[in-house]
Amino acid sequence: MDKMGDSILDVMKKRRSTRKYKKENVSKDLLLQLIEAAIWAPSGSNVQPWYFIIVDDANTIEQVNAFSPGLLGDPPSIILICSDRKKTFEKAGTLGRDELCVMDISMAAQNIMLLAEEIGLSTCPVKSFNKRAISKILNLPDYVSADLIISVGYSDEITSTPKRRSVKETTFFNAWGGIGFNG
Amino acid sequence: MDEKEIIKLFTYMVTSARGCVDEPKIYGPFRLIESISKLYSILKENNLIGNEEVSKIIEKIEEKKYSCMTDEKEFVTMLDDVIDDFVALLNFNKKQI
Repeated sequence: MDKMGDSILDVMKKRRSTRKYKKENVSKDLLLQLIEAAIWAPSGSNVQPWYFIIVDDANTIEQVNAFSPGLLGDPPSIILICSDRKKTFEKAGTLGRDELCVMDISMAAQNIMLLAEEIGLSTCPVKSFNKRAISKILNLPDYVSADLIISVGYSDEITSTPKRRSVKETTFFNAWGGIGFNG
Repeated sequence: MDEKEIIKLFTYMVTSARGCVDEPKIYGPFRLIESISKLYSILKENNLIGNEEVSKIIEKIEEKKYSCMTDEKEFVTMLDDVIDDFVALLNFNKKQI
């Protein structure tokens, strides 16, 4: 695959949130590769609070979809990223449970989305779902938080490139307002 | 008509209502527009709507609805255009429908 030659920055720039998928299933092998990428994300106090529920059964996706207004474009598979908030609290206190967990999950999610892009899959991170309903549908224990859904499939749309705030606009050297750019 | 599709639409709408309590403000208009898409799809599937003008309006919605996430101005312009279209469509004096 040509994409193997891309630098990591190229992959980051190419990734888009996809909201229209082809009716083509993603193999279990590829989905598991994405999880392999996820588990190599850093985590606060090395808690690795994540659990991943891969949903590739059409009936279950339909059920999840019904309670997830942000899940668009009929993806053939989704990954629900969950975190064990009890374990995180025991190891990293309230900071771990309330803040680090969210960051850990986000870093794992980015790993998933970047590898997906690299291997020709498309994704979209989705937070607009009803946690209560999704937890019931997927039988989550009460100490596990359903944090983020990532839809995964083969894109069936041409996505535009959203405007980006530039490095210059978003970066300071050494202190807020510090200038370090040429000119 | 497949009752399940209607139940799914109701579920989408009530879940959206709950989500809108906490979500970004722009998601509210988007969820309403998405509800129109879903309702239209059900009606079309069951041959309960066939108005050509409505079909064109829905196409316009489908083309621009996701712009709410990347270009809010474009999304709002689309909403205004669609309202103009509905004003023309519902011009009862001319008995267009």
